[in-house]
Amino acid sequence: MEEKELLEKIRENVISGRIDQEDEGLEGDMEGQPGVTELVEQAIENKISADKILSEAINPGMEEVGKRYENGDFLIPDMLAAAECVGEATKILKPLLLENAAEGKGKFILATVEGDLHDIGKNIVSTIVTGAGFDITDLGVGVKAEKIVEAVKNSGAKYLGLSALLTTTMGRMQEVIEMLEKEGLRQQVKVLVGGAPVTAEYAKKIGADIYCDDAFDAIHKLEKT
Amino acid sequence: MARGFKADRRDFLNKEQCRLLHENSCRLLAETGIELEQGRAVDIFTGAGASYEQGRVKIPARLVEDTLTRINKNFSLKGAVPENNLNISAENPVSYFGTGGQALNVLDYKDGSFCKREAVGSDLVNIIKICEELDNVDYITRPVEPDVARERIDIEKTKIFQANTRKHINLANLVVKEKLPEILKLVKDKELISFISCVPVSPLKLEKNTAEKFIDIVNNDIAVAISSCPQAGMTAPLSEPGELLQVNTELLAAIILANLIKPGARVMYRGIPITSNLHLDNSPRWSQPDSIKRVAAITSMTYFYGVPCCGTCAVADEKEPNAQNISEKILSWTMELASGAQYINSALGMMEQVMTVSPEQYIIDDMLITMLKEAFTAAAGLENRDLRQIVTATAAKGFSALGAVCNDEITAEINKRLDFIFTEREAYNRESLEKQLLLIQKAVLSGKSSAVFMRKSRAGLRKGFLYAGNRISGKLDLQNIIKKKDNILNKG
Repeated sequence: MEEKELLEKIRENVISGRIDQEDEGLEGDMEGQPGVTELVEQAIENKISADKILSEAINPGMEEVGKRYENGDFLIPDMLAAAECVGEATKILKPLLLENAAEGKGKFILATVEGDLHDIGKNIVSTIVTGAGFDITDLGVGVKAEKIVEAVKNSGAKYLGLSALLTTTMGRMQEVIEMLEKEGLRQQVKVLVGGAPVTAEYAKKIGADIYCDDAFDAIHKLEKT
Repeated sequence: MARGFKADRRDFLNKEQCRLLHENSCRLLAETGIELEQGRAVDIFTGAGASYEQGRVKIPARLVEDTLTRINKNFSLKGAVPENNLNISAENPVSYFGTGGQALNVLDYKDGSFCKREAVGSDLVNIIKICEELDNVDYITRPVEPDVARERIDIEKTKIFQANTRKHINLANLVVKEKLPEILKLVKDKELISFISCVPVSPLKLEKNTAEKFIDIVNNDIAVAISSCPQAGMTAPLSEPGELLQVNTELLAAIILANLIKPGARVMYRGIPITSNLHLDNSPRWSQPDSIKRVAAITSMTYFYGVPCCGTCAVADEKEPNAQNISEKILSWTMELASGAQYINSALGMMEQVMTVSPEQYIIDDMLITMLKEAFTAAAGLENRDLRQIVTATAAKGFSALGAVCNDEITAEINKRLDFIFTEREAYNRESLEKQLLLIQKAVLSGKSSAVFMRKSRAGLRKGFLYAGNRISGKLDLQNIIKKKDNILNKG
């Protein structure tokens, strides 16, 4: 396959959210055809640079997905699948990008707070934020404030995402923010909060930096910081 | 007069479809197993012949089949007076309507509009008082929790129920396991109460701490509805056969556990296979036609097994009482009643995807259920055309009683929703269920099940698995409803 054609195929498959050949695609009829991971590996074999794969195939693909989502042509699973493709492609390209000293967008710690075992929203944020180029460390669900603060301290993360789905657990977000203050880490890290009961007013009240409606809102707001 | 409504019923799944779902559930239980942390429940399973590998209980088909022979098909629940007793029976089914919970918010009606606020203890008292007076509330599930410390919730709500109702009490969840003996001491007769246990967590998991409470409830021979509520596209396959396969597997595991704890345990099968709003925000779609269809269909599995059914319906997705809200509820009640569910939960008062209740909504729902029962009684049968007639007639009467008009546009939208329910989009055959089984296995074993289910949902969304219709708009005249509510609450 010619370089131009291969890059175009990668872009198309990012748009279709097809990680690999097992994926059936948007219409359910693409199983068996190479997906993003196979195509990226082929591109590397063909000596196409990692920078080029990213800038001419993957990023334009994801930009197109964003546009289609905003237009209402794409739905949440389409966006998620595309972001997963970007995450997987990034994993393959990362060693090559490091050789060329390309930088990611920064370390991002993510957790559902103590007492709350809900992980669906958090997992979506994890996938989308990874796909957008952030280096995610997902601490999981029901995470104590001490553990979250320790992770921020040890990693030097620039971003911290906190999730809660219950009115009874959202108060734990404030505990984390207060503990960050106490440990002198508050200025180092931007705190993003979200979850069904959380509102912009609540985020402001507890001193969070960014309130996120959903994963995509998080990306939009992160891009503006 | 004895409580309950006896109507004809119909199976939304035929026997062959049920058999295929059961066979594939047995395969999932034996091959993939159920995730469960070490504890008493694991010991009970392994003591009966199940294996435990890498945190998953694998239940052989023979153990499933043997245990199913011990299912309790009939049991009674009591109210404080004999006329409020309920006979729960998979063999001689009678349908009972109850309320649901747990809502976090209550709507107050002030100056012509609704204001939402957090629920407090006095709301529990007021709602129970209202439900005590309503003819179509056959039992009361706690709608909101009392606002007391966690350790006191169980006892406080039991006392509030005892002081305000003579109907059967569903305490819903047991908050603190150690409080069960005290609850039993208060109520004196275990048949006066029942519980709901959300011990299955989708996909294919039993939650250890909930299982601990479940074991104590079953050991004490208290009736309990075992609840599994996956959201298609998020925590289960978007495909209808796939989601039904998964919910049936989860409930089967918990029913086996109950009957291993105590053969003939007084349990009800409560399958709530709803869908997710994958178009917008992943929120649950409780009362959209796709969810209504699936919830009615799963009732057929309870008749296949001969296990009593706790149905769940009429949790409107709307945020307040309005025309769309009542159109959702009427469609949902109709299908659930037609399915033959016996202990119908969440039927009154509930909206905003179980987040909110409104005192006015209980009274509206009671009125509409009266109309619905009349329409069922007048119907010639339960064929599609009969159900269409029941829904449209109840909607017309209900809208009219609430000062609104069920015009041609609204009737067309209601018929469109019915068309969706009556249309088969997917095959229930050996091949399609095998595909769904493999998807569930892949999702469960990948450790990122929601991403697997969402990815797989893209094609289904494009094939129209989620209903996309129009919202029915229109305000209701609630003067008579408010008057009735005030009369009840002012009785003291």
